[in-house]
Amino acid sequence: MRLEGTHELHAPRDKVFAALTDPQVLARCIPGCESLEKQAGDVYTAKLSAGVGAIKGVFQATVRMADMRPPEHYRLIVEGKGQPGFLKGSGDMDLTEKDGITSIHYVGEASVGGLLASVGQRMVESAAKMLAGKFFSALEAEAQK
Amino acid sequence: MIPTPFDYIAAKSLDEAVALLGKHGEAAKILAGGHSLVPAMKLRLAQPQVLIDISRIKDLAYIREEGNSLRVGAMTTHYALESSKRVRVVSPLLAECAAAIGDVQVRNRGTIGGSVVHADPAADWPAAMIALRVEMVCAGAKGERVIKADDFFVDLLTTAIAPGEVLREIRIPLSQGRTGQSYKKVRHPASGFAVVGVAVNLGLDAAGKCANASIGVTGAAAKAFRAGGAEAALTGKPPDAAVAAAAAAKAADRQDMNSDLYASAEYRRHLVEVTARRAVLAAVGAAK
Repeated sequence: MRLEGTHELHAPRDKVFAALTDPQVLARCIPGCESLEKQAGDVYTAKLSAGVGAIKGVFQATVRMADMRPPEHYRLIVEGKGQPGFLKGSGDMDLTEKDGITSIHYVGEASVGGLLASVGQRMVESAAKMLAGKFFSALEAEAQK
Repeated sequence: MIPTPFDYIAAKSLDEAVALLGKHGEAAKILAGGHSLVPAMKLRLAQPQVLIDISRIKDLAYIREEGNSLRVGAMTTHYALESSKRVRVVSPLLAECAAAIGDVQVRNRGTIGGSVVHADPAADWPAAMIALRVEMVCAGAKGERVIKADDFFVDLLTTAIAPGEVLREIRIPLSQGRTGQSYKKVRHPASGFAVVGVAVNLGLDAAGKCANASIGVTGAAAKAFRAGGAEAALTGKPPDAAVAAAAAAKAADRQDMNSDLYASAEYRRHLVEVTARRAVLAAVGAAK
């Protein structure tokens, strides 16, 4: 599944990039994030209770950041395992700023397996977009602080 | 296929259901017909700790006419709406949409209230709710609140109903004059869900021109939506084949179409266009 999108944040790029790479900020912005801990280097482990409507699942995830070029680019690699299935994905985040508005463009590939994929496949993409939307609006509020 | 353990409480009144929901909060779910929630629980995709069953509350399943509106209780089954002779006369779109849902077992147990509150992106009802401009009456601890269909469907599996509120009734304004309605869908062959579904509710003036049009689309995006461009393309024009085709093209002109294993976003756009054209022409035919 290819995921691509652009979100516009009313905040300067330096602050958005700083927020995107701050584990405490991420823990507050990621929908359903119960804990996020820094492991070695740019690797984090997270416990997520992610869901939409009545459908929820608990995931243990590893998040890695690579190709860091502050404040314009980085690569995000996520692997998660949980009771309803597993997910794996990676994507490139590109940040551009114009007139005080930062655009984050993301392009990535994600795959979902297990029960989640077999019964929830028709909703996975919409759910991913919805959760991304929630994440970026929370991030915008953080970067405006 | 066995759910995680949960407590079950059969509420005796709507007030009791609202109070129980307030007491148990996030851990509780309202059980209506159970045709979306129970399968999700069996797959353990939903794990509520408390189920509050509202199916035994008297006077939540009814179809009544009051003035220029039809009042449908939240626990009314799809089958009751499909089989009501009166509904077929005063609000044919409701009956047609009900008959298009799933299979007969689902229609016998599933309820209109349960379906709209679950807000499955491929459910049939949301398209008809938007096309009919219905109002949702929700009961909460602070009393009742009315939400318009256009504001009700917020996102994937998400509605404007607040935590602690229970849907009580759906109010359907009844159309006057020369009106025509239709619901057309492309059924998913296995589940019966709408790969896309289009509901059309339009009125003709004395000259046969389209005086007003209201169109809801489901299955296509993360939530059901109003096809405003298509409505504008119909209004004030004689609704012939060319006008219907132009309106249908407007309905399909969106960037946020769903994509899944069964239908790509591009294919869905095509299906919306074809289905919208057929639904518009069927509604026009019904109005003559």
